[in-house]
Amino acid sequence: MATVPARKILTVSQVNALVAGMLDEYFSDLWITGEVSNLNYHSSGHIYFKLKDEGAQIDAACFRSSAQKLKFRLEDGMQVVAHGRLEIYVPSGRYQIILDTIEPRGIGALQQAFEQLKRKLEKEGLFDPERKRPLPKLPRVIGIITSPSGAAIRDMLKTLRLHRAHCRVLLYPVQVQGEGAAEQIARALAGLNRRDDVEVIILGRGGGSIEDLWPFNEEIVARAIAASRIPVVTGIGHEVDYTIADFVADYRAATPTAAAQKVAQGWQELEQRFEQTEKELVMTIQDLLFHLEQRIDELSRHRAFEQVVRRVREFHHHAEILQAEMRDVFRRLISVRNETLNRLRERLSHQNPAVKIRQGMIQLNGLKTGLQQAITGTVTGLSTRLARLAGALDALSPLAILARGYALCFSADGTLIKKINQVEPGEEMLVLLSDGRLKCGVQEKIPGGENGKQEQ
Amino acid sequence: MGNKNSEEKIDFEQALAELEKIVKQLENGSLPLEQSLALFERGVKLARQCREKLQAAELKINKLIEEREGELNEEPFSEEPD
Repeated sequence: MATVPARKILTVSQVNALVAGMLDEYFSDLWITGEVSNLNYHSSGHIYFKLKDEGAQIDAACFRSSAQKLKFRLEDGMQVVAHGRLEIYVPSGRYQIILDTIEPRGIGALQQAFEQLKRKLEKEGLFDPERKRPLPKLPRVIGIITSPSGAAIRDMLKTLRLHRAHCRVLLYPVQVQGEGAAEQIARALAGLNRRDDVEVIILGRGGGSIEDLWPFNEEIVARAIAASRIPVVTGIGHEVDYTIADFVADYRAATPTAAAQKVAQGWQELEQRFEQTEKELVMTIQDLLFHLEQRIDELSRHRAFEQVVRRVREFHHHAEILQAEMRDVFRRLISVRNETLNRLRERLSHQNPAVKIRQGMIQLNGLKTGLQQAITGTVTGLSTRLARLAGALDALSPLAILARGYALCFSADGTLIKKINQVEPGEEMLVLLSDGRLKCGVQEKIPGGENGKQEQ
Repeated sequence: MGNKNSEEKIDFEQALAELEKIVKQLENGSLPLEQSLALFERGVKLARQCREKLQAAELKINKLIEEREGELNEEPFSEEPD
């Protein structure tokens, strides 16, 4: 410690200067803890306040260059840990501590800053649900603010393609972390808002530490989002990360991929709607052909069949043209992996009236031929049978038997005599031979068969 | 460029809306056959147009470059490979 020579009388200025030198030498690098009071954010950018504990207080100042680096805002009553140097203010002889670093005690500076800004903007109504604007359903031009080299842009573009967003992407490349990132992001938001074609903005960044994501917690970004007339979708970090930008945004998606998905949703739905409708269209033609068939069936039972056939032919022609068209459609459908439709086509062609009628004609012709064959066959069969029967009848004719040497005997009353007891001796009978008749008389009855055997 | 896109979008949506209307009419099933076939024919045509539009559309990506006075110029953006 410098020694003051005895009896050397110093001026006030000299004393203060001496103290200044001592303070500079011994108190230029110290940490201090205390409670903030009498806080004054001066318009010059400097911050003046007192640090105190139960028994003492000290004037404190944080000049603009250091104050700008503070992530959070000081508040009266806040417990802080700070770093700085002691300095004497020569004109008043009061000394103060000039602080270059201030951190809230107990809670991280960034966390503190986050909470503070969140409270502040919330109070201003920047997070109000009424402020959230609806996103365009089918955006044609999408602005993306992110790093051109990160995983986030790759993920987002991949997702937009996958969900078949038919649009133009305008990438505004920015730094997404570190010094100056927040300013770049705010500038990009303003820049896209100057264009008249951008319909929605995605603000995206991949995962990272709270420090990495910090630009998205800065007021300048929050203000720029709030000021954007174009709806803003955020996809920052991972599922669990919430930034101030997320709160102000019109829609907060959990990740860059989710943000792209949200923006492309309308396009995807439109395509699904189309594919559904296309399927329904094919089903209606099935129904139509089914009804056509039914009507053909119905009409074919009426007399005016020729007329029906003519009408059917007309439909045929038409249906064939349509079928060609359908084949074309189906070829496309197949190329876009639609197997369902392919199956439907199979079924459709089975129900084609042209095919049905052709099949019917063939069947009818077959029947006709069959019938003729059947008729011819029957007639031939009948005459053969008749001839055979005639032959049989002929063979059975008694006259033919007589020709072989047999004779028939009739009694006087004309009864055929089969047994001897039908006549008595002395009676007359008529014997019929093949070439004439004999009138004979019965002389004697001799019982016995042909072989002279006795009959009982 | 934006205008052209806009027209295409409207075309597609209009075509789809008409297609949906046609399907409804066909499903209703009360139309005479000739009319149904004519409607179907129109539907097939619309479906084909929609499909072509869907397949033709692709994502176009441009990068914005800020010039002096905040003017934004576009240039094609090529993705860096993984």
